[in-house]
Amino acid sequence: MMRYMMSLLAALMLWALPAIAQNSGPLRIEITEGVIEPMPYAVPDFVGESAAATEMGRNLARVIASDLSGTGLFREIPAQAHISRITSFESPVQYADWRAVKAQALITGAVSLDGSGRLVVKFRIYDVFAGQELGNGLQFVGTQDGWRRIAHKVADQVYTRITGEGGYFDSRVVYVAESGPKDQRAKRLAIMDYDGANLQYLTDSSSLVLAPRFSPTGDRVLYTSYETGFPRIYVLDVASVGRRVLPTMDGTMSFAPRFAPDGRTVVYSISQGGNTDLYRMDIGTGASTRLTNAPSIETAPSYSPDGRQIVFESDRSGTPQLYIMPAEGGEARRISFGQGRYGTPVWSPRGDLIAFTKQSKGRFHIGVMRVDGSEERLLTASFLDEGPTWAPNGRVIMFTRETQGAQGQARLYSVDISGRNLRQVPTNGGASDPAWSPLQN
Amino acid sequence: MPAGPRLTGRAARGAAGVNTGQIISGAGHLALIGWALIGGVFQSAPPPFEVVQATAISEEEFAAIMDRQSAPDAVADVDTPEPPAPGEAAPSLSSEADTPPEAAQPDASATPPPDPAPDVSQITPPAPAEVEDAPPVMEVPQEDVAVMVPEVSPRPQPRPAPRVAPEAVARPEPDVRVDDVASPEVTPDEGAESAEEPSEATAPEEAATEIVTEAEEPAQAAPTASVRPRTRPARPAATAEAPPEEAPQPETPATDQSAVNDALAAALGQAQQTSQTPSGPPLTGGEKDALRVSVQRCWNVGSLSSEALRTTVVVGVQMAETGKPEIGSIRMLSASGGGDAAAKQAFEAARRAIIRCGNDGFDLPVEKYDHWRDIEMTFNPEKMRIK
Repeated sequence: MMRYMMSLLAALMLWALPAIAQNSGPLRIEITEGVIEPMPYAVPDFVGESAAATEMGRNLARVIASDLSGTGLFREIPAQAHISRITSFESPVQYADWRAVKAQALITGAVSLDGSGRLVVKFRIYDVFAGQELGNGLQFVGTQDGWRRIAHKVADQVYTRITGEGGYFDSRVVYVAESGPKDQRAKRLAIMDYDGANLQYLTDSSSLVLAPRFSPTGDRVLYTSYETGFPRIYVLDVASVGRRVLPTMDGTMSFAPRFAPDGRTVVYSISQGGNTDLYRMDIGTGASTRLTNAPSIETAPSYSPDGRQIVFESDRSGTPQLYIMPAEGGEARRISFGQGRYGTPVWSPRGDLIAFTKQSKGRFHIGVMRVDGSEERLLTASFLDEGPTWAPNGRVIMFTRETQGAQGQARLYSVDISGRNLRQVPTNGGASDPAWSPLQN
Repeated sequence: MPAGPRLTGRAARGAAGVNTGQIISGAGHLALIGWALIGGVFQSAPPPFEVVQATAISEEEFAAIMDRQSAPDAVADVDTPEPPAPGEAAPSLSSEADTPPEAAQPDASATPPPDPAPDVSQITPPAPAEVEDAPPVMEVPQEDVAVMVPEVSPRPQPRPAPRVAPEAVARPEPDVRVDDVASPEVTPDEGAESAEEPSEATAPEEAATEIVTEAEEPAQAAPTASVRPRTRPARPAATAEAPPEEAPQPETPATDQSAVNDALAAALGQAQQTSQTPSGPPLTGGEKDALRVSVQRCWNVGSLSSEALRTTVVVGVQMAETGKPEIGSIRMLSASGGGDAAAKQAFEAARRAIIRCGNDGFDLPVEKYDHWRDIEMTFNPEKMRIK
């Protein structure tokens, strides 16, 4: 009897052991829903070591704040709300003061001029609630004239350390500047910082220009010009503004050029005898290769980041749709199957998405889809949206939006790939057909 | 013993009284039938009939009634209205256009010389208005900027109460006899071997240094957070701290040090065992949900990269009994779905969520502290990805 009781007790203990073990472990919960809102941050004026440097420190902080807040991912805590004052770059941070104003990130910096008059900018980023520095401090040195680029580089670092992906602030945009009435509109190439500063014109208004595209290194621009009466492709050196026409077959129209990731090859369209096909050209030798041979219109090609594939627009199915083919040509597969017309596809620098223009039910949209055509999302809708171009980090898209009517004007807009944070890009007058450069060195 | 069925008492009584009951029943039925036949129960109801009231009228009245019922005679002679006499002849319409009135012509000689053309060289054309069709940018409310206003309204100041009550209050019965020397109460212990004389406890008289009325107390705002009750003694610190400087040991009578150490070790061991083994009921589903909701309120994934939004991190955190997370204990236990950089960003967002929303302490039942001392939170952003 006693042995029976002992066996029963042992069995009961074995049965209860897992429950006891479970109770003694940590409490486990799963968080599956959060919030999507801008992260509050503070960027006090950078500390200057002289009067001139103090003024520069204020300007630097303002450009950094403009960059970060412009993404829609961050929200600046205004200086009036600050409790602590950063008077020394080396002083310890009073985290409690910044927590009190709900700042989650803090950027501090110092500005000085070295012996040769060059600008020296140091900065640190702090995770306020964790009470620790995010990475190590960094220092940039540059000319005083290039202070905006230094500010953009600081902002890029902040963006990267907090979001985990590359920034896009130290970049430029080339576009077609427009002026005059709609029926007599003058167009010329212009280049500016991504935020509209440092505007320069690359061509005059004597001839129509279209579709500028940056080289992978950002030092050259391909564009189409009607200078000879026919559309021809030109390549322009940004630094010297020198240009030359690419050799194409006589009696043909060449347009829609775009660089391959290697920077030596250009893919473009040639229209001959009412048919338009895709060609590839080696810029160095001028040798061209035909990539498509179909009675339909093939145009608007764009390379994948690895240079192995090309996405383009074709109406071979009856309406303009998007197709992908190998970079050497060959069989193309259709990736767009939604209702409406698709055009101007551009492969994301990350390689995961393709941006496009879609016309459906009398409205134009900028959208993105996966490379296989899945997960199509329309980001914008208006009377006329077209011509998307990717930011260097593949997170933001810039495009042209034209308003309706005789007085309608084209402007540049940017939007996050989530569809949020639609903003107009400041330009001097009308602007269309933007192309975003890679990050500058 | 006679053969045959045995009758129960009730059946036997029924068998004995059957004749009497039948007689009474038969008489009753006969009486009922007789009353029904003689009393007219089966007679049919009388047929309905109409009552008509007749009134005698005179011959004149009859003639008058008959006159009203006869059709009226047609009236032949009715005055026909005469047509109106023709009026005056209609005026003839002329189709001639009116002569325009003569406008007074200004005297050319009196015309003033034209104004000189304005000088427009100094006027700059207005800048063309830029029409934006961008949606208005929603202003983010600044509620989380430094709060400068008090969270509660100031309480009204009560009127000062008199320092001394108008009437003497009966003194409460002293529970301790006032004496210059404090001595504990001595009660006889039945088990004690040496009998000690019982005596009352005494204590020196206590008094406040000043009289402070309620009105004179500094006004304080109502607390914004309730103080968490502490039902358990603080457990020994887990981290090893530097031993405090050895205090001078007072001379104490010689005791068995090993016995004391054993007792302390036993007590500490019991305390450790008590603190590490969860006791009491576990957290309810509602309590877990409340914690989950509290954390996800601060889990901001808006600034995470696409790759970080594909990364699930498991974060471990130790909690203080106040419900606040021990910031130094927050650590990433595991990550899946992304690279190291993405896991780092995802972990930092999770850590910010725990710290921010745990700043005032999570609402957790303190009596179940053993169950939530260590928490593992899995942050899964699958639902938060860009669709």
